[in-house]
Amino acid sequence: MSASTSQALDYLEGLTQITHQKLYEQPSTALAVFRCMLPHLAKTIVMAMLYMPRAFTIGDLDHWIRADSKSDKDKAISVLQSLHIISHSQESSKSLSYRLESGFANSLRQALTGGGNHKSFGVPSSAPDKSDVDIAFLDQFARKQWEAILYFMVGSTSGLRDSTGLGETVGNGTRKLLELGDFVTRANHGTITKTGFTFLLQEANAQVWSLLIVYLKQAPELGMNEVDVLSFIFMLGSLSLGQDYSTANLSPTQLQMLEDLNDFGIVYRSSKASSRFYPTRLATTLTSDAGALQTASADFTNALRPSSHAGAGYIIVETNYRIYAYTSSHLQIAVLSLFARLSSRFPNLVSGKLTKDSIQRAIKLGIEARQIIDYLTAHAHPQMQKNNPVLPPTVMDQIRLWEYEGERIEATHGHLMKDFSSEKEYLDVLHYAESLGVLTWKSDQKRVFFVDRIEQISAYLKSKKEKK
Amino acid sequence: MNAIDGTDRHIKSTDGPPPSLLTIILDTNPFAWAHLSSTLPLSSVVANLLVFINAHLASGNANEVAVIASHNKRTAWLYPTPVSAHNTNGHISAQNGAASHTQNANKYQPFAEVETNLLSNLDDLLKTTTPDDLSTTTTQIAGALSTALSYISKSTIRHSPVDPTLLKSHAILIDDGNLTSQRINLVSRILVFSVSGDLASQYIPVMNAIFAAQRQRIPIDILKLAGDTVLLQQACDATGGIYMAPESPQGLLQYLMMAFLPDATARKSLVLPSAGSVDFRAACFCHRNVVDIGFVCSVCLSIFCSPNLQDSTCLTCSSVLSLSSALTAAPALIPRKKKKRKRAPGDGSTPGGSATPLPGNGTPMHT
Amino acid sequence: MADSDGEYIEASDDEYIGGGGSYGTRGRGKGKKGQRADGRAKNAWELSAKTGLESYRESADGTIGKSIQEREEERKRKRLRKDTKAFQRGIIRHIVLVLDLSEAMLEKDMRPNRYFTMIKYTQEYVREFFEQNPISQMCVMGMHDGICIRVSELSGNPADHISAIQGLRDPKSSTSKEPKGSPSLQNALEVSRATLYHTPSHGTREVIIVLGALLTLDPGDIHKTIKSCVQDRIRVSIIGMGGRMHICTQIVSRTNSGDESGYVVATDQELLRELLLATTTPPVIRSSAPTTDGAAVPAESAASLLQMGFPSRIVEEVPTLCACHGNLTRGGYTCSRCKAKVCSLPATCPGCHLTLILSTHLARSYHHLFPLRNWVEVSWQRAREKGSKQCLSCLSDFPEPPSSHIAHTENGAESSNGAANRTAAVAAASRNTAPKGKQKKDDGSNEDELATASESFRYECRDCKSHFCIDCDVFCHEVLHNCPGCLGGAGPRKEEGNVDTEMSG
Repeated sequence: MSASTSQALDYLEGLTQITHQKLYEQPSTALAVFRCMLPHLAKTIVMAMLYMPRAFTIGDLDHWIRADSKSDKDKAISVLQSLHIISHSQESSKSLSYRLESGFANSLRQALTGGGNHKSFGVPSSAPDKSDVDIAFLDQFARKQWEAILYFMVGSTSGLRDSTGLGETVGNGTRKLLELGDFVTRANHGTITKTGFTFLLQEANAQVWSLLIVYLKQAPELGMNEVDVLSFIFMLGSLSLGQDYSTANLSPTQLQMLEDLNDFGIVYRSSKASSRFYPTRLATTLTSDAGALQTASADFTNALRPSSHAGAGYIIVETNYRIYAYTSSHLQIAVLSLFARLSSRFPNLVSGKLTKDSIQRAIKLGIEARQIIDYLTAHAHPQMQKNNPVLPPTVMDQIRLWEYEGERIEATHGHLMKDFSSEKEYLDVLHYAESLGVLTWKSDQKRVFFVDRIEQISAYLKSKKEKK
Repeated sequence: MNAIDGTDRHIKSTDGPPPSLLTIILDTNPFAWAHLSSTLPLSSVVANLLVFINAHLASGNANEVAVIASHNKRTAWLYPTPVSAHNTNGHISAQNGAASHTQNANKYQPFAEVETNLLSNLDDLLKTTTPDDLSTTTTQIAGALSTALSYISKSTIRHSPVDPTLLKSHAILIDDGNLTSQRINLVSRILVFSVSGDLASQYIPVMNAIFAAQRQRIPIDILKLAGDTVLLQQACDATGGIYMAPESPQGLLQYLMMAFLPDATARKSLVLPSAGSVDFRAACFCHRNVVDIGFVCSVCLSIFCSPNLQDSTCLTCSSVLSLSSALTAAPALIPRKKKKRKRAPGDGSTPGGSATPLPGNGTPMHT
Repeated sequence: MADSDGEYIEASDDEYIGGGGSYGTRGRGKGKKGQRADGRAKNAWELSAKTGLESYRESADGTIGKSIQEREEERKRKRLRKDTKAFQRGIIRHIVLVLDLSEAMLEKDMRPNRYFTMIKYTQEYVREFFEQNPISQMCVMGMHDGICIRVSELSGNPADHISAIQGLRDPKSSTSKEPKGSPSLQNALEVSRATLYHTPSHGTREVIIVLGALLTLDPGDIHKTIKSCVQDRIRVSIIGMGGRMHICTQIVSRTNSGDESGYVVATDQELLRELLLATTTPPVIRSSAPTTDGAAVPAESAASLLQMGFPSRIVEEVPTLCACHGNLTRGGYTCSRCKAKVCSLPATCPGCHLTLILSTHLARSYHHLFPLRNWVEVSWQRAREKGSKQCLSCLSDFPEPPSSHIAHTENGAESSNGAANRTAAVAAASRNTAPKGKQKKDDGSNEDELATASESFRYECRDCKSHFCIDCDVFCHEVLHNCPGCLGGAGPRKEEGNVDTEMSG
């Protein structure tokens, strides 16, 4: 599970059981959820249970997993439960056991064995396409569309929008979506917001997910079926690049989606009436953490980075805060100018400096120091990548210090747990919260603590109450 | 929070576990499978194997798989498909594969690719098996292990985050140990589906492979469906793999899913099936007797069960072996006591050499 | 199997004056050619930056990329270029490792200083040594303030030695030693000689000295000591630092029957480590021959049968005392003869002096006895003939051979051709190898050729005629010691497992 999919997981966890059940009807969705939404140990548990004839008793599970990995196990089980993949069941006597939801299990088995006739992995077009669409073309198309969106967002701030035509090609639907997602505000000819910056500095893969989640949330308003939309997204993730697929098997909702996705650069269609579509690299990497590894194999190709030469880093940061970026892309220069003072530009190189002013200006705009560091790290030049840590420590610390000067309070949304009846109960719940990793603050004296997620805790409290 | 001290400078670039490469060695010894056909036909094992491979591929997005068949007299790649030297059937089968898996909308495409390749290669292998191949009854497990290890080592190089060509000048400066630990981020393991018994004829190459695996920290898992070999047990024991001989092979898939699917990352948090006792006793080279106390040729390390060899020559390297030293003197000795005795009679045994000077015993010093 | 034939060639000194003996070189060229061992020591300061530049020659299309890649491969090959003739090697070794603990070790030309560097590398060395030579014995000594101190006793347990060496630098330990005074080679040799005096005749007796100082402060005539060392068939090798010393050359050459390649000088710490590790390969056994000073010495090694126990591992319910340390342990191995319990193997039974060992330990040494033969470079012509497209074992693609009309032109034309963008030196080397590949020259006759990169990036096993890439070449020779092609039945199937059957066990 990578950072890019964690927000998708957050969204998925928020769905109801019925939605989940509907989703899992499609093997492709079940497989995609399994592949990219589950923690590693959870995958292991699911696989062990998949072909198990009986339910997995809690006792057996505890025996199987080492005592020192208990917190990992609790986390895995909690994710599985909130996604409604496993459920508690009461076996004959007292022993409690876990059981895979049959819908999910069936679909996953079908996905693994390739059986059934569900056509959920995309129906390739039977007739060959007359026009020649190759992978290079698709990459170029995807990059053009996606960079246009990013440029639309960043252009307003960097003041470059008017001089170049970029960013003007963004369709109205996309603009509206960006506003809905609170990435830009309509006021003042579309200015980028704090969430917009967060969005901008993410990896391409995470960006696509953020945008799609906004799209999903908006779906019911447009009269689209949420489950249809989701399963279509998951299906896209399991298609292969460079292959054309037929639109014949798609539902009306999904056909409607195709147009929007074409705008984003996620799929390519030669015309709106065309009966075929091509997924681009943005789509096929949806369900793989491509950022984790750049494999040489063609099957799991690496993510499209918003750079002119995909994949390679281009930024060099020196200990004296000077920054050199080997790029000629307007977008990259615009992003850099958000937090660096750029001084000179050459055909393939931009140089500048990270200054207190430039960083604090960025922080005022809502960019966090962490994001800047992450961005610089993720796009570091191969020569820099050899260092450990990648960026000079002085620079990292200084950026943090500059941020720290401005803000001393960090807000976390969550819930305060208080008024425990006894020390024992307080400690018990506290330890549970700690093992889940949701605890942010505690005060033993006052017997209160603060958690950023409550669902598991309340379920835990409920089950405790029932036991009594 | 706002931690400014350098404690969290290490930015986690990847949250997920490292990608894992699973290399499967399928023993396709026709004799053994013929023997097993009533309880566990090869076809059903291959079907289970495919599900298992798919499960492995699904467990991590960057996971990879390689399958090697260890046949009689030769090994063959099942997946990935090698390009044939003279460009004949390799090309055609690749085309076939491409044609067939694009048709199927019910399969995840990477799964389909593995499946078609594997099946067609296995088919080719079985078709091209000649009666001449069947003259031996053992399987080429040593060749398969060697191939698997080479493949893994190359994949590891390929996956290293630092471009090896950039690194060459620096490699000399950096301590080698640190370097490798930083670069290796592909976790590999080998799983052997073994059905053949006696592997004694390949003792040395298999041992070499085991030591290589041990050095590279690659666990060798053994799923023993038939036959029994101490050699493979030792392989598991030495490399930290899992050895399992299922009692009811019908439940093969569950064994695979539960015991063999977890990769190194997951194994850290699981209680693994224990190996039980491993037989470390040696078999002598002359009669294949299992011995407790043996006689070892000092030149070639061959093991014999009795000191009475023909003409007192080693059967392996034909050196003339003296028995006296073996029977009279212990091979190693504690020199302390004897040294004193030696020193006492002066330098009779060390003509011309003075006794070792002791501290303060006339060691000249510059003043 | 790709091993050489089962027969041993006894290297006699007449054939190999100036080099055949010594350690199978890992990290060095073969002694006879003196590419690195001698050449380096004598000429390191003479070499200028010029040599480095010269080898980067522009290729015909004006790039140096390919030539860099070739150099990279060449570097890799050089390292693995090993003597693969099946010499009889001394598998059972008795080694005294002598460390310099004199004040010269406080020199800071290695970081943090020579002393700590040496301690660090020798610990690693001990581990590697027992990995490679599991049935050997070692003893560690130190030259400290004019005398020779014993750091650890002669034993086969690496953990003892490592902790003893660690104890040298640990200020809290009672055995801690600060480098002090001057070293004495004579004292060191005498103590080593005494330690090795009673070791059995079937094993080797070796002294490895790590010497930082450029002087030796001896109480008597060191030449007499050298003479007695020769008589006791002790071999000395010395790893110096900073510079060469005449007396060291003398010691090494006389104890190794005229071969000086055992004396090497480490110019930096990386080289020190490399040179140390080079001595982990078992040395070649010399047959009896007169030494340089005319005195006849007995054959270096009398082959003998050794009695050894192969104990089984036990796990006990209740902890019991082990016979070796007197610790309470729950598991261990029981001696096959007297049932004493020892905690780790290999070991000598404390009760009955039987050597206890696992059969896997014996197996670990087999690759020294049956080394994998070097693979040869493949010319474009040969590559085309074979039509190999991928490395046999890792399936990585080879570059396509250049278009075929070049194939029929002469070799001389080849080097001027655009496709064969080679440096003159490499082209010359490939000209030598090209006919060899075709004629399939007899085994062993071309073992001594220089290690160069192959122009077609393929390397061919001489037995099974399969082609491999450089990475697999290095891996198979350095780690695996198997040829995937021969074992996988890729070769011509005429002779059936010559070595396999022979060593079956």
